[in-house]
Amino acid sequence: MADEPPSILPDPLTKELRDRLCGVVGDAWVIVDADRLLAYESDGLTAYRRTPRAVVLPKSTDEVSHVLSILSQEGIPVVPRGAGTGLSGGALADGDAVVVGTARMTSMLSLDPDNRLARVQPGMINANLTKAAEPFGLYYAPDPSSQSACTLGGNVAENSGGPHCLKYGVTTRYVTGLTVVTYDGEIVELGGFGRERGGYDLLGVFVGSEGCFGIATEIEVRLLPKPEGVRTLLAIFDRLEDAGTAVTEIMAEGLLPAALEIIDGPTIRAVEASVFAAGYPTDAEAALVVEFDGIEAGLAGDVERAVAQCSRAGAREVRTADSAEERLALWSGRKKAFGAMGQIANDLMVQDGTVPRSKLTEVLGRISEIGARYDLTIANVFHAGDGNLHPNLLFDRSNEDEVARVNRASKEIMAVCVEAGGTITGEHGVGLDKRRYMSLVHGPDELDAMRRIKWVFDPLGRMNPGKVLPDGPDDGKEAP
Amino acid sequence: MKNKSDTALAAALWAQEDRLAPCVHCGFCLPACPTYVRLGDENDSPRGRLHLMRAVVEGRLAPDSQAFQTHIDRCLGCRACEPVCPSSVAYGVLLEAARESVFRARKTPFAARTLLAVFSSGVLTRWSMLLARIVRGLGFAGFAARSLPRGRTFHPVRFGLAMLEASRGRLRLEQSSDSGAAGASDYRAAGSAAPSGSVAAPSHGETPWKDGSRGRVAMLRGCVQAGLFARVNDASERVLRANGYQVVEVRGQGCCGALHTHAGDAVRARELARANVRALAAADVDFVAVNAAGCGAALKEYGHLLEADEECGEAAAALADSTRDISELIAGEAGRVGAPLPARVTYDAACHLCHAQGLREEPLMLLEAIPELVVLPLRDAEECCGGAGIYGITHAELGGEIGADKISAVVETGAEIVATGNPGCMMQIGAGLILDESDVITCHPVELLDESYRRAGFYDGR
Ligand SMILES: Cc1cc2nc3c(=O)[nH]c(=O)nc-3n(C[C@H](O)[C@H](O)[C@H](O)COP(=O)(O)OP(=O)(O)OC[C@H]3O[C@@H](n4cnc5c(N)ncnc54)[C@H](O)[C@@H]3O)c2cc1C
Ligand code: SF4
Ligand code: SF4
Repeated sequence: MADEPPSILPDPLTKELRDRLCGVVGDAWVIVDADRLLAYESDGLTAYRRTPRAVVLPKSTDEVSHVLSILSQEGIPVVPRGAGTGLSGGALADGDAVVVGTARMTSMLSLDPDNRLARVQPGMINANLTKAAEPFGLYYAPDPSSQSACTLGGNVAENSGGPHCLKYGVTTRYVTGLTVVTYDGEIVELGGFGRERGGYDLLGVFVGSEGCFGIATEIEVRLLPKPEGVRTLLAIFDRLEDAGTAVTEIMAEGLLPAALEIIDGPTIRAVEASVFAAGYPTDAEAALVVEFDGIEAGLAGDVERAVAQCSRAGAREVRTADSAEERLALWSGRKKAFGAMGQIANDLMVQDGTVPRSKLTEVLGRISEIGARYDLTIANVFHAGDGNLHPNLLFDRSNEDEVARVNRASKEIMAVCVEAGGTITGEHGVGLDKRRYMSLVHGPDELDAMRRIKWVFDPLGRMNPGKVLPDGPDDGKEAP
Repeated sequence: MKNKSDTALAAALWAQEDRLAPCVHCGFCLPACPTYVRLGDENDSPRGRLHLMRAVVEGRLAPDSQAFQTHIDRCLGCRACEPVCPSSVAYGVLLEAARESVFRARKTPFAARTLLAVFSSGVLTRWSMLLARIVRGLGFAGFAARSLPRGRTFHPVRFGLAMLEASRGRLRLEQSSDSGAAGASDYRAAGSAAPSGSVAAPSHGETPWKDGSRGRVAMLRGCVQAGLFARVNDASERVLRANGYQVVEVRGQGCCGALHTHAGDAVRARELARANVRALAAADVDFVAVNAAGCGAALKEYGHLLEADEECGEAAAALADSTRDISELIAGEAGRVGAPLPARVTYDAACHLCHAQGLREEPLMLLEAIPELVVLPLRDAEECCGGAGIYGITHAELGGEIGADKISAVVETGAEIVATGNPGCMMQIGAGLILDESDVITCHPVELLDESYRRAGFYDGR
């Protein structure tokens, strides 16, 4: 990670090309001035900075199609961008590529409560979809912790998950159709209501393609009826391992919580120092949030059994949130945890690995050992139910030695996850950052198969180049 | 790029480097920002603006560059980005530092310079306010505004006249002859809202004035507030007295300096702040009451503004601590209940109340305590109205778009009155309504309470 200089310096577009793009989207939405491109040099992972060659902000499928067709005639690569909350550097463009952003494509295209479907533009913010569906008693299930800011286009590209995906599944389960523009401006329909025709699931292939196959310009998703009842409980532990045990036991009971989330001591202290303080005791070493939802009748019993398991695992106290407000506060503390890290450190590197649930405790122990060895503070937030870990490595970018240690520790953490039978990303994607770990989990044949699938959508390698797949056999073996 | 001139220009930002660092780029502030939501350019988002500031600090961007000026200028200063930020980035403070850099880097446009100079001088302020009142008093401002052709050339004059017209007190509620009519109310626009005491008051069996036992209060009279909204100041004073405060007159106070701070003229802002600190500290009061959200926020931040001032710093912090919005002093259990005011009102939350001062409930509580006043919820009540000082004039197009959204939200509620706690917002929303030929009336929440008290006879015999 960290700032190795971009391989290609931005090369301004010719005036003629600029004029053509302005002709499509309007002058205000073509950004070429070097100073104004600075704001686009990072996404949610600030360890990297890459200045794009230009940024274009179209408003419709047609405009995207025109823009891509113009750029492809010039042989210019394209990087899609949503809200730039991604945590793997996926929306960054190396100097020769142009960013095509969806920030102006925020409209609801149709909402069909009878069929529980919505069709939206890709720049719509995740939480706004649920807001729009609410009057019909419906909601959109995948809830990344960034849901108040991230876009559905970004969610589709990353196949994003969230706390409630333990029970409800990730983005791909909800996407029923896409309109996609490929690198050369061609508009392609994938899936869509009433268009299920059998054959290979190209729609499924596109979801999670990290902007490397094309730009999703219309997204059709399934909505769910709001559950009748919700119960949230919070268990406080003096030892992180005990919280891990509670998770294992709750699942072993045969319970299926909607969410099972752990935040550790350093994270608790960061959150409590922020405006989103949720009233977690600051001397605790772990807080476990458990949520059940569904038909009212069964909930009380589930909660009772979960409380018993927490106590048995050694919980210091167990609270249940009674009002909707308390629930919100509990969740707000968890969901804003990443942002709240700014309270305790200037920079952070959030890692994203997955391990089998049964290995959680062991892996956490090894991560804390790595932290100690490299003299780094590591704050853990994780979707415990899925075994999805988010160790946040805190540092200060002006301290070069510390940056180097973060680098090495990150790599070791990834290796530990893989060794435990897990993988290098749970939900943040591979992007720019994890590309170098790809060969830890995929053999050459597998990588080759992936390359061929990309070739179908993007034979010239113009979409989001330099992401996900390592370029050559050596790429990915040695982290800088 | 860190050459000497940049160093001098960016000094204010460098001093705030520690406040910039906590931004982790999470993006939570993006959807809260009225300019980003409408433009979609990262440069017009809080995160983008902070990134530009950081680039200046890092010496990668010149503080006098076109990009920096444009995007810092385009910020409304509404601070909607602050309460949603999990890292508690002090955007407002940083914006001021950025504005200071921009202010030093360029020649401020003539119109803005004149305005700032006028408000720095007590005498000039009084004269210009008198002139404004004369124009307003002639009674043609609204008509002229509506008849001027639309379009760029006339926009500043047209909008300016409409704002002036909007500053007129139009609120005069008449007691409904048939108060049984469900939700129906009648009100009449009147030239002046000075209470005449002519309405027969129901007897409430209370002493009309309470004893002043709740504390000594100094009122910040303000500049625009004193000039064009004297009636709101008067209403505030009456309402405070009726609630048991002792209101003392403090001479030597002036403009709070918020306009200057927001324009980046920190030097003048500090001068004005010092004058106010001296005047108000000498008055030995428990509270300083402010009825203009922007001025209240500025006073509450005097501690920060004068943090490096050895002579006044401490007194400034103390003054900031004792500053209260009028709603904080009146709302709640202890607030006195007046006579029924059958009308439909909606409440627009001024940015400098809800975002900058974190006062969301108090003004609503004040309104909800008025019997028979129906308070209708306003969609996106906490979104900026586009007023932001003279934004509506300097950024006609974007300001116009933001303003138009607010006007349609207000009209949608079906309210007859829109109440908001800041003179700038009253004028901005009022101007929009006038140009839209709507007859919805704009007022300050305290004016409604005052009217309710007047009807209750609290002021009789005074
Ligand atoms: C505080 C915080 C919490 C987070 N929590 C979670 C979480 O719980 N779960 C989770 O999964 N992620 C989480 N993330 C990561 C991130 O929010 C998600 O990956 C999100 O889906 C990215 O959306 P975006 O709009 O910001 O996309 P961007 O960051 O702009 O882009 C992400 C990728 O998608 C591509 N892309 C964007 N739009 C399109 C499009 N229309 N068509 C094709 N490709 C496109 C880009 O090229 C890029 O590769 C979190 C991030 C933050 C900052
Ligand atoms: S919400 Fe705060 S930390 Fe996040 S990007 Fe905005 S200013 Fe930075
Ligand atoms: S102050 Fe208002 S306009 Fe300026 S960045 Fe913050 S939210 Fe946007």
